Amino acid sequence: MKVEISKGIEELKFALLSPEEIRRMSAVKVITPDTYDDDGYPIEKGLMDPSMGVIEPGLKCKTCGGKVDQCPGHFGHIELAMPVVHIGFIKEIYSILSSTCSNCGRIKLPDSNLKEFFEKIKDTANRLSDIEYDDIVSEVESDASEVVICPHCHFENQKVALDKPTTFREEGKKLTPKEIRERFEKIQNDDLPLIGLDPKVARPEWMILTVFPVPPVNVRPTITLETGERSEDDLTHKLVDVIRINQRLRENRDQGSPQLIIEDLWDLLQYHVTTYFDNQTPGTPPARHRSGRSLKTLVQRLKGKEGRFRSNLSGKRVNFSARTVISPEPFLSINQVGVPAKAARELTVTETATEHNFERLKELIKNGPGRDEAVYKPGVNYVYRIDGSRIKISEKNSAEVAEKMELGWQVERQMEDGDIVLFNRQPSLHRMSMMAHEVRVLPYRTFRFNLAVCAPYNADFDGDEMNLHVLQSQEARAEAEILMKVQENFLSPRFGGPIMGAIHDHITALFMLTYRNPLIPLETGLHITSYIDVDRTPETVEVDGKRYFKGRDIFSLILPEGVNLEFKGKLADKSLDPNGTEGLIRIEKGKLVNGAIDENAVGQSKGALLDYVLRKYGNAEGAKFLDNLTRLAAGVISFTGFSTGIDDEDVPGEAKAQLREVGNEAVQKVEKLIENYKNGLIGMEPGKTLEDTLESMVMKALSQAREKSSEIASHYLGMDNSTVIMARSGARANMMNLAQMAGIIGQQSIRGQRQHRGYTNRTLPHFQKGDIGAYARGFVSSSYKEGLNPTEYFFHATGGREGLVDIAVRTSRSGYMQRRLINALEDLKVSEEGKVLDTEDSVIQLEYGEDGTDPSRSFEGDSVDVDYLVKEIFGTKYEGGKK
Amino acid sequence: MTILAWKDTLKKVKEILEKAPIGYCLDYEIPADKSIKEALITVTGKTFVAKAKISKIAPYQNEKNVLKKKKDKLKTLITIEKIEEIQDDIVNYEEVSGGSVDKVLSYAVIVKKEEAKIELPDHMEGKLNSEVKSLIRQVEKDGNSLPVKIAEQLTAAKKHYGIGEKDFEKLIKATLEKYKETGVDPYEAVGIVGAQSIGEPGTQMTMRTFHFAGVAEMDVTLGLPRLIEIVDARKTPSTPSMTIFLTEKARGDEDRAVSLARSIESTTLLDVADIEVNTTEGYVLILLDKQKMQERGLKREEIMPRLKKIRMQKTAISEEENKIRLSQEEPSYKKIYQLYENLKTFQVKGLDGIKRAIVKFDQKAKEWVIYTQGSNLAGVMELKDVDYTRTKTNDIIEISQVLGVEAAREAIIEESTSTLHNAGLNTDIRHLMLVSDMMTFSGNVEAIGRHGISGKKASVLARAAFEITSKHLLNAGLIGEVERLNGVAENIIVGQPITLGTGAVKLSYRREE
Repeated sequence: MKVEISKGIEELKFALLSPEEIRRMSAVKVITPDTYDDDGYPIEKGLMDPSMGVIEPGLKCKTCGGKVDQCPGHFGHIELAMPVVHIGFIKEIYSILSSTCSNCGRIKLPDSNLKEFFEKIKDTANRLSDIEYDDIVSEVESDASEVVICPHCHFENQKVALDKPTTFREEGKKLTPKEIRERFEKIQNDDLPLIGLDPKVARPEWMILTVFPVPPVNVRPTITLETGERSEDDLTHKLVDVIRINQRLRENRDQGSPQLIIEDLWDLLQYHVTTYFDNQTPGTPPARHRSGRSLKTLVQRLKGKEGRFRSNLSGKRVNFSARTVISPEPFLSINQVGVPAKAARELTVTETATEHNFERLKELIKNGPGRDEAVYKPGVNYVYRIDGSRIKISEKNSAEVAEKMELGWQVERQMEDGDIVLFNRQPSLHRMSMMAHEVRVLPYRTFRFNLAVCAPYNADFDGDEMNLHVLQSQEARAEAEILMKVQENFLSPRFGGPIMGAIHDHITALFMLTYRNPLIPLETGLHITSYIDVDRTPETVEVDGKRYFKGRDIFSLILPEGVNLEFKGKLADKSLDPNGTEGLIRIEKGKLVNGAIDENAVGQSKGALLDYVLRKYGNAEGAKFLDNLTRLAAGVISFTGFSTGIDDEDVPGEAKAQLREVGNEAVQKVEKLIENYKNGLIGMEPGKTLEDTLESMVMKALSQAREKSSEIASHYLGMDNSTVIMARSGARANMMNLAQMAGIIGQQSIRGQRQHRGYTNRTLPHFQKGDIGAYARGFVSSSYKEGLNPTEYFFHATGGREGLVDIAVRTSRSGYMQRRLINALEDLKVSEEGKVLDTEDSVIQLEYGEDGTDPSRSFEGDSVDVDYLVKEIFGTKYEGGKK
Repeated sequence: MTILAWKDTLKKVKEILEKAPIGYCLDYEIPADKSIKEALITVTGKTFVAKAKISKIAPYQNEKNVLKKKKDKLKTLITIEKIEEIQDDIVNYEEVSGGSVDKVLSYAVIVKKEEAKIELPDHMEGKLNSEVKSLIRQVEKDGNSLPVKIAEQLTAAKKHYGIGEKDFEKLIKATLEKYKETGVDPYEAVGIVGAQSIGEPGTQMTMRTFHFAGVAEMDVTLGLPRLIEIVDARKTPSTPSMTIFLTEKARGDEDRAVSLARSIESTTLLDVADIEVNTTEGYVLILLDKQKMQERGLKREEIMPRLKKIRMQKTAISEEENKIRLSQEEPSYKKIYQLYENLKTFQVKGLDGIKRAIVKFDQKAKEWVIYTQGSNLAGVMELKDVDYTRTKTNDIIEISQVLGVEAAREAIIEESTSTLHNAGLNTDIRHLMLVSDMMTFSGNVEAIGRHGISGKKASVLARAAFEITSKHLLNAGLIGEVERLNGVAENIIVGQPITLGTGAVKLSYRREE
């Protein structure tokens, strides 16, 4: 591998190709509409002429002598027998035809007018944007096209009409491309800027093709199928058509065939040239492959999501990357990623041998390409000598190559623990979708990471796959480590709070560890503490001669020293926490003295404790805290065990009776409302019709029923119930979900209304016509556990379907919105003075966000958290407000 | 100092230049004004080419030895003492009387515009209390700056905790230090972060439209569709609506609120009456519905004068109790039918566009507020009893037309914040400000997308990569567009490092000798 000095591209200029230019850059004049002869050799002056580049390995290009990977390919050309118009410029050709004089070629406006327009363009030449220029051009066009008598030569012009897609007519008479070209040749260079052309790069007659460029073969390679059959590219097919018709046209023209035949052939040539450029031109039947598939020609290659621009230029396939299924691993740090050994052997980092790493690289080469061992030992796959030649390392030659190694060799070393890689999950909706991790090579075949990192990636383990990219340069590694590491991305730039945190069982476990401060037998407690990275154990208490740890003391082990914090947990409610020992979480001097740890303490994007540790102790300490937290949770839950089952939703008989009562009451209440409505006893609410008033009253009554059932269910389901623990601690689900399982599911709605569509005057044939009662409009009084009756089941399914459709529509719509937003804002940057500038250095904001604060460094949007500062500086001096 | 200006031909200007000092006759009537001592002449209407010192402006007399702008119809004679060639942009001047500067067709009396100065936003300080003000001043003395919000929080904390002066100094110092730490880094890709921060929560939003705060019939688009609508800069929102606040006097009075609401509700004739057509005898009969009229607070006397304005020729109106008869002298089926069609949508009352207006009592602020379906900001702002300083509409384009682009910028921020907030999502206001600034910085409200910002990008490649690829490439060839590779998308396409973040700076290594 040679070190190449790369040159930057300063700017690109776009231009039209002139016929001379096309001939000049052409390597061969293509005249044969064939590709290969019977022996499989390319035909001379055919479409696969080796002068246009090579695609088969081993062959050499006739023009430059390069091999496959050296020759960039060369254009050829076709001399068209008759000129044809370029479909991409039809509109421009039309506007030039109608705004210039067919006799003298001047724009049909008096000199004084033209001067004025020139003035306009010149005057503002520097600051003229494309849009303003376009406006002037279209003004010239609309003014000039209305003039009949040319002010320059007093010729009476006739109106030109465009007969789509490619025919021009003047007063019904067809204008051939040849005639158009002749007219365009008369236009003066000086007039071109007013037509919208830059005379330096384009002449109007170049929009009428007389010479046709044939792209290099690399652009349209032949594919050889497994059967040995050759299959040509779509462009080649189209070029064959063009050459064939061109030949016939020339022959007929030279023989002096009837005008009619020539015109037909000319039109056919126009069709082929048109579809060669754009096979989706409106008004033209698309050219088709033998199989009926329409051909992908030039415009189709570039356009759209699968086109060259979006699919190959804006996004590129890369080397040094891997993709596999992900799975959880609480024993990895949040900064790490587990990489399967199999992948690690394929992914390499290129290192140049220097005095500093010489011995280490030598040892690595000696390891060979890797053996299957219990402990992973990185090896080397390839070595590049100074002259660029490559040696593949095998078990046999490893020792030999290691000895031969010299300074300056490049060694493609296999991945080892501690390498920095980028880890990514699509859709990459925000910058935390791609973060840097440290590698840990592990057995088996999945990527693994700490569960706290699920949130920024929005990952779960139901089969999700993720991508991994190995960084190759020292600069890239440094940047990634400083800017992209997981611990540097704790705080989301969206709202200035932490987005990572404990989830699901972590919260359950910590909740169980701290709820009511349980006593944990010494032995179990020691086992649990062995999961975490601390060098001390909590004090023990003795009860009945046995030694115990206290749960909250164990939790306190992972807190950094000196944490002083007080906040409300999820249980901060008199009814849930009558003694006040659980809801109010208080930490004094790094010790949890009151409260149960729950979602509000350590959960994703709302963990107050987590937030505090991050801000006070920094990212590294925050990462350590989260690492310990996830391990502790794994330890706790391993020893206590935790499961839930259908019997968690069992409620006693009396509760069941109460629930049934609530359901029936609601239904009766609705009946009564409907009766009142029918008797005209309901008053209108402001701004509503009578029907709407009834609907809202019914909805209210039914949602009350569900709330009541929720109350009953939570009354009978206590904190000894696994599902309740999950709901109350914020690990998963909420009390309403439980009530739906145990009690009443409630009203099923479509677009926020009760179900009302279906058959004539009824939703389902199971009901009477005109029935607008609770059940007939989608009220479900059963519970998930009991099961639903058929009509309920049906309504429930319609509601569920609405949800699915909603999600499908939403993702595509919001995806497009985000693409547009990104495209509009991608170029904005903060200047060194703190202004926000775009690519042309226009000032979008004088100071970013009016205060120059980076949201990801803010305190939930505020530049400075004053209250926190007061506490930090003065300690308890000003506690509790003014004295 | 006032200056006289007029447009002339280049030939005449040269003539004056040659022959000055001289009298010059103009074909406009210019009142004699002794304060005018200078004159400027323009040829193109864009720049002044000559500056003259004049001594007298007098009515035209046929004298000898004077130059004439035209051969006849001359009206004023001015005496030019001295004249010199200059180059001065016409936009630097503004008119005092006469014609307008931008099209000096006849003459104009103008003054030089004062140079634009950017002043510190003093208007903000008016709202701040003195303590906050003095704190900001104090900090500025030391060469630092503090955002108003933080200064407010500091003074509030001082009061709340009862912090002593010495400790407060300490706190200010610590705050300033913290504030410096939170600054954005140069070359930070704030645009991309902003776009992501708005786009990402989009996936979590709902698609449904919601009923407005307990009032059925009044739908308000919320959630993702509303957000898309805002960034699209739609001409009219799908559910335009207004919140009209009342002046201090009217705030507490339900009757006044209700009558105001009724008076702005646009009511068509069909809303309060049945219309019958009699084609054989050629008349249209309007049958007023008493009950409906009462509901809408409409009296028959109010309808009549309006009806008379109807622009149909030769229509006779006669009225009986609750019946209005419109007949035509020469009845033709076509005309009668047209009359009927006109009457159906005939607005008898209210403001254009306001379909419904509902009065509600705001429990928190203890005042009556009018909510409307449909929006007419300009109309509502003119009404008596309306507190136009607080009155809102959700039609951003209308705001930009009525109150200007700065107001539209605020409206975009406000509307998008509340949309995200309503969905229970938390997004930093700085991101929304950036989007809003980007949409409005050109002076008009521009959409995010191919018809707006993305379509106006300087880079061909960036435009081609976004949408309508071939059109942009072909056009670039015609006008010889140059791709300067300043943006992100362009550089990715050609395979170079981008110009933001760490790609904006270059590293070099200085080897120690």
